[in-house]
Formats: sequence, C-alpha cells, structure tokens
Amino acid sequence: MAWFGSSSEDNAKAPTRSTRKQCWDSRDKFFVCLDGLKIDNALDDSKQQEIKKHCAAQEKLFERDCAHSWVKYFKEQRFYAIKKERFIKEMEEQDASPLPLSGKK
Amino acid sequence: MFRSSLINSLRYSNRASVCRSSQFLTPSTRLFSSCSVLKNSSASTEPSTAAPKKRKQLSRIAIGGSDSKKEKLRDASSIEFSTWKAGVLLLVVGSAMVYYFKKEKKRLDTQREAEANRGYGKPLIGGPFNLVDDNGKPFTEKNLLGKWSLVYFGFTHCPDICPDELDKMAIMLDKLEIDHNIDIQPIFITCDPARDSPEVMKEYLSEFHPKMIGLTGEYEDIKSTCKKYRVYFSTPKDVKPNQDYLVDHSIFFYLMDPEGQFVDALGRNYDENTAVEKIKQQVDAYIPKDQREKRKEGWFSFLYN
Repeated sequence: MAWFGSSSEDNAKAPTRSTRKQCWDSRDKFFVCLDGLKIDNALDDSKQQEIKKHCAAQEKLFERDCAHSWVKYFKEQRFYAIKKERFIKEMEEQDASPLPLSGKK
Repeated sequence: MFRSSLINSLRYSNRASVCRSSQFLTPSTRLFSSCSVLKNSSASTEPSTAAPKKRKQLSRIAIGGSDSKKEKLRDASSIEFSTWKAGVLLLVVGSAMVYYFKKEKKRLDTQREAEANRGYGKPLIGGPFNLVDDNGKPFTEKNLLGKWSLVYFGFTHCPDICPDELDKMAIMLDKLEIDHNIDIQPIFITCDPARDSPEVMKEYLSEFHPKMIGLTGEYEDIKSTCKKYRVYFSTPKDVKPNQDYLVDHSIFFYLMDPEGQFVDALGRNYDENTAVEKIKQQVDAYIPKDQREKRKEGWFSFLYN
C-alpha cells in the first residue's frame, strides 16, 4: 500500500479517500506516541533520539502511509496547533477576551 | 378563525359604545334594555330580577331598568375584554410586521452587498479564464452563465483541508438541491496543473460528488485564473508530476451569480449549514441585471443605495 513510496509513477496519481484515511490513522497513532513522551515539536533535532527510541514503529508506519511532504506538513501543523492552544489557554487564565473581529457574519 | 373572532370583538365594542351613548342621551328603559339584550343576552336576565328589589322611592332607576352602577361595571369589563383582544391583535400584527420588515431589510442588505461585490467595470474577483474540464473540454467564464456556481481552489495532493472542504461542499450541494431546490454548479480549480491532469481530477472528484467539475490547464492559464480570483499562487513552474510537494491555496468558496459575477466568499468559519443559509440568502435576493439597473433609475432608487 506504499502509494507514495519509492515508485515515482504513484506520485502522479491523486490520493484516494482510503489512502488518505490510512495516512491519517497512522499519523494519529504516531502523534499519540508523541503525546505520551510530551514532545510538542516532532521536528526538533534534540528530540530525535527519544522519538527513535520510543516511537520508531509508529513513525515508520506514518512515513510509509503518507507522502514525505505530508509528514512534514502534519508535524508542523501539530506543533502549531499545540502552541496556539497553549497560548489561548494562557490568555484565558489572564482573563483576556478575544478581539471582536468583524470577519464573521 | 382568528379573523371572525376579531370582527366579533369589533362589533362587540361598537355595540357597547352605542349603549353607553344611549344611556346618556335618553335614559329610557326600553332603549336601554334592548341594548343590554344586544350586548349579552345571558347577562341581561340577571339585572331584571335584581333591579326591582333595589329600587327605592324617587329612584332614578327607571321601572324595569337596572342599576346603572352595575351596568357601568359591566360596560367597563366589556371594554376591557375588547381591548384585551385588540392588544393581542396589535401584538400579532405588530410582530408580523417587524418580522417582515426585518426580513426585507436583510434581503436588501444582501442585495446591496452582492452589488458591491459585483463592482463596476472590471470585476474585483473573477473574470475571463481559459481552462479545460475533467473531460478535457474547454471551460471558460462563459460556462458560468445561466447558473449559480460555487468555485473552490485546491489540489488533489492536498493533505487535509481540500478533502474536508470538498466533503463539506458535497453536503452543501445536496442540501441546497433537496431542501431548497437550488441547483449549483460546483467547480474545483487546481492550483497544481503539473500533477492534476484532467484524468487525475476526474478520478479524484468522483469520490466527492458526481456533479463536481474539475478544471485544470496550462501553468500560465492557472496562474492567471488564480490571480483574477485573488488566490495566492505559489506553485513552482518547473516541477515534475512525480515530485512530492505541497502548494498553498486559498480556502474560500466563491459564489458566482448566473451572470458569472462574484457575489460572496465563504470562508472556513462557515459550516455546511450556515453556508447553505448564506447561499440561499443570496439566491433569494438575486435580481437579474436588467432589473437591477432599471431599479437604480426608478423612483425608489434611494432605497437601494
């Protein structure tokens, strides 16, 4: 099922619903493992050894089921989401209220 | 049902006032009693038995008449009764009017907003483009004429946002068609022409909705289309189809009216329900161009500006 694997032919084809789902599932499993290690940024160089030690199997599946560009994208996205959530929580603890932006109608 | 009771209550209050005036002008027994009969037959039997007992010598109460105090009380209560109904009527009619005017105001606002988005002269968003659909046939801005279109930009190798948004779009299309009988032409324009050939697009879109039209084209044509729709375009020019990369793209749905003009953009803050509401609002408020222009010259043009 290595649709993004070594064969370059596969890349020209669009991912299907099932391949997307498989990728997302593997991603979620890997991220659960990272949550257990309390690692926010999976791209952090200093954390690579720890990830290799504890989440190697999950990472391997993640990289097998998702394209390389997706793996990078999801890792960045997770770090961004965690930072954003933490920031919002911090602000709420300081009783800050969000600015009323008029974008939404 | 409501109307007949309303008329009754009006008649009722009319009668009461006639009686009162007759009481003042000519306090004659006959007139008065005939009045109370008219007013309320069950109530009029009561005073006729009670009145003779209370009547003292030199009393002002006419023979066979009833106590005017009591009569007044009853009059007051009958007025109260009718004002209660009038109050309800006022509330019902009033709130119906408020609802209607609010709705009309909303409709005019939507029209004004759409008109502002259409712009004058050169369109702010949209315009001529020259692409091919997923069957390899040419598709230009002329294909937008005569029907509402919902345009979305993306690419088939999109990790999560595009498939989510396309799923949302499919639900919206069904909702609009089944619940509101609104037919929308769904268009997906790729920002990644190197990998997204018509065949790839066709296969990809078949998983979302049968009506979905996928547009692709030459690099320069896609770039120009993205520019016209104010879509940030970052796709490198000389990528090979088997390369692994991501492209940035806008995450708006562009609603185009049957003249092919842009009227609204729906961002990710809309879910499938609110988006359907918004589209329905625009479709309901839509007035063809010739009528819009006629209205601008008309007597009530100030209302629409």
